[in-house]
Amino acid sequence: MLRKAHKCYGSVAKSISLRRGYASHPPKARLNIPTDYASTPLLHHSAKSSLANKELSNEARNGTTSRINLFQAVNAALAYALRSDQRVLLFGEDVAFGGVFRCSMNLATEFGDHRVFNTPLSEQGIVGFAAGAAMEGMRPVAEVQFADYVFPAFDQIVNEIAKCRYRAGHNADSMNCGGLVIRMPAGGVGHGGLYHTQSPESLFTHVPGMRVVVPRSPVQAKGLLLGAIASNDPVIFLEPKILYRAAVEHVPAEPYILPLSTAEVLKEGKDVTIISYGTPLYACQSALAAAEKDFKCSVELIDLRTVYPWDRQAVMASVNKTGRCIVVHESMVNAGVGAEVAATVQEGCFLRLEAPVQRVGGWSTHAGLAYEKFNIPDVTRIYDAIRTSLEY
Amino acid sequence: MSVTMVNRLGIARAIATLAPLQTRNYATHATGHGRQRRLNTPPDFSKSSLLHQTPQTFSNTPGLPRGGASSRLNLCQAINSALRTALSESNEVLCFGEDVAFGGVFRCTLDLQSQFGDARVFNTPITEQGIVGAAIGMAAEGAKPVVEIQFADYVFPAFDQIVNEACKFRYREGHTGANLGGMVIRMPSGGVGHGALYHTQSPESLFSHIPGVKVVIPRSPSQAKGLLLASILKAKDPVIFMEPKILYRAAVEEVPDELYTLPLDKAEIVKQGADLTIVSYGRPLYTCMQAIAAAEKELGGRTIELIDLRTIYPWDRETVLESVSRTGRAMVVHESMVNYGVGSEVAATIQEQAFLILKAPIKRLGGWTTHTGLAWEKFIFPDVARIYDGIKELMAF
Repeated sequence: MLRKAHKCYGSVAKSISLRRGYASHPPKARLNIPTDYASTPLLHHSAKSSLANKELSNEARNGTTSRINLFQAVNAALAYALRSDQRVLLFGEDVAFGGVFRCSMNLATEFGDHRVFNTPLSEQGIVGFAAGAAMEGMRPVAEVQFADYVFPAFDQIVNEIAKCRYRAGHNADSMNCGGLVIRMPAGGVGHGGLYHTQSPESLFTHVPGMRVVVPRSPVQAKGLLLGAIASNDPVIFLEPKILYRAAVEHVPAEPYILPLSTAEVLKEGKDVTIISYGTPLYACQSALAAAEKDFKCSVELIDLRTVYPWDRQAVMASVNKTGRCIVVHESMVNAGVGAEVAATVQEGCFLRLEAPVQRVGGWSTHAGLAYEKFNIPDVTRIYDAIRTSLEY
Repeated sequence: MSVTMVNRLGIARAIATLAPLQTRNYATHATGHGRQRRLNTPPDFSKSSLLHQTPQTFSNTPGLPRGGASSRLNLCQAINSALRTALSESNEVLCFGEDVAFGGVFRCTLDLQSQFGDARVFNTPITEQGIVGAAIGMAAEGAKPVVEIQFADYVFPAFDQIVNEACKFRYREGHTGANLGGMVIRMPSGGVGHGALYHTQSPESLFSHIPGVKVVIPRSPSQAKGLLLASILKAKDPVIFMEPKILYRAAVEEVPDELYTLPLDKAEIVKQGADLTIVSYGRPLYTCMQAIAAAEKELGGRTIELIDLRTIYPWDRETVLESVSRTGRAMVVHESMVNYGVGSEVAATIQEQAFLILKAPIKRLGGWTTHTGLAWEKFIFPDVARIYDGIKELMAF
């Protein structure tokens, strides 16, 4: 009886995964194959590779690792921050039970409800409250349940948090929103539709006063989140939600801080530079692997990590070496990160460029439920951009 | 006469003989040490070629009706004329916002409630989220609400309504064809000299990173009337209409009396040239004209073309690219900060499409990447000297 039920369940599960259109691909697909997170070079599949990271603290490098995914890495960072600094608070909608993405699992039980707690359904209130707490010297980590819902808090962010330190004038050291981190899951998952897919990072970059950070992996998320909490500027921390479970790697068990406003060269190359951040990096990796084989070229891949203020020097140095540049991001092309990077690169590397800087981004339309895979840049589009760049 | 009366007379006489206020240092320029300032002088709007000083020049601007009656209006009066015309033209048009009933803090809605009644022109509570939310609901039901956000700096509480509701409405409706055309969100934007952090912002770039809404910025009274009427009566999409507040009183020109509309998808070449294209919109256009006038004197016959984008999103790529294909050099000028602004989008597109034609990198001149503090406005926004320097640099590249 039991065996029969188990068999039944197994076949149902298999047929569901076969039917999920966003998890599969056409049978003859060459490029647009889903990322294999278990083998991508962008993640650390061994403890040795993870601990070899030069940006780690000595403590971390001499410690052990555990194989965890993105939400577990975020959880570990939050736990360490709450443990080591009494000023750190964590709050948001549904945070107490563990969070809709499990990022705050067990934190309320360990630290108590005066440090980890739920808020009402009011992003404006969550962020406004966080701003006040930060101004009083706390280090609040506010969670907005989806980046698509951050807009009710836009006034608080842009007109209060971003301007607080400037407004304080002489008192900037004692009145500012440093230590405030607003975390939010962002980006497409395949079935998010209009309101669970948005990537609004570019909207926070046109107002001075905040840092905008997007981690690409569990190791990066832990270090950048700890860096964000320690930072003296307010930070908007966008976590690519599809990576919460998909990206699994060896993460150092000890704490470490990764620098904000420093891009990272993930792969060296000499013919074309690809600049990206977050989930599209994995598509870029697949595209460049195919391109290097087909076109016999060598591609350099850079992760911006901090979208604003961004690491101009690293990007310019790379483009001055390769002479070709492509920027890839999920959000729409117009006035996005690609526009800023392209405009700056053409200004700084004008005489070196062999081809125009290409922007591969979402088309200028909404992220409709059925059309996501046509909207968000896929491996083929990036591959085509590499080819166009090389053949210009 | 009593002492008090003498005193009062004395005070009255003193007041009557007071010289006009010359202490406003944001309206004048320093002329220290007898040296004459060469570039950073305030623009003389009464002589600007960007404004129609007489109706005879209407023919220079495509789309303006010629031969009919016209009146000399400033920007707030032109907006008032457009609103009055729209309210007369269609019963669907409504006009509401904070303090709109008495005439508005910038006089744009003067006498509209007395003429059209308080069912069509009315005040709202202080809630931008509510103002825009109500407008969306009304537009969804077929009305044409023209709402006012008192300053562009205050639009952010309505950001969710704009981005997640207004922008996505038509897309969500799919086959039904329903849309929010006719909904216009008007707001004064830009620096005035003393606006500081919260009366100076120009957030147009933020609305160009989400599909679904048009962003329009008029440069003059005649442009404002035509563009606003087009936004209310013709557009199938909601429009964010940002009015450069410093031009409300400063820009005065002849404006046709009749109803006319200007296209919402075309940039305009306001000055022809052959060697450099400057792209801008709103108030900085006047600064650009001053810089161009000064620079052309020293460029040995080379000339500069000036383009007014008018619609920031979706912007007229064809006109700009056609211009750069002739000149080979481009510069973008705007008040809001350089990073991630309209300049970035325009520069990125030009370098992509006109790569081989470019003789110099595209220059972005915007506000420095800092807040617009009260005392520092004139140093932050691009001024005549910075644009002049930019022109010289590009010509010499």
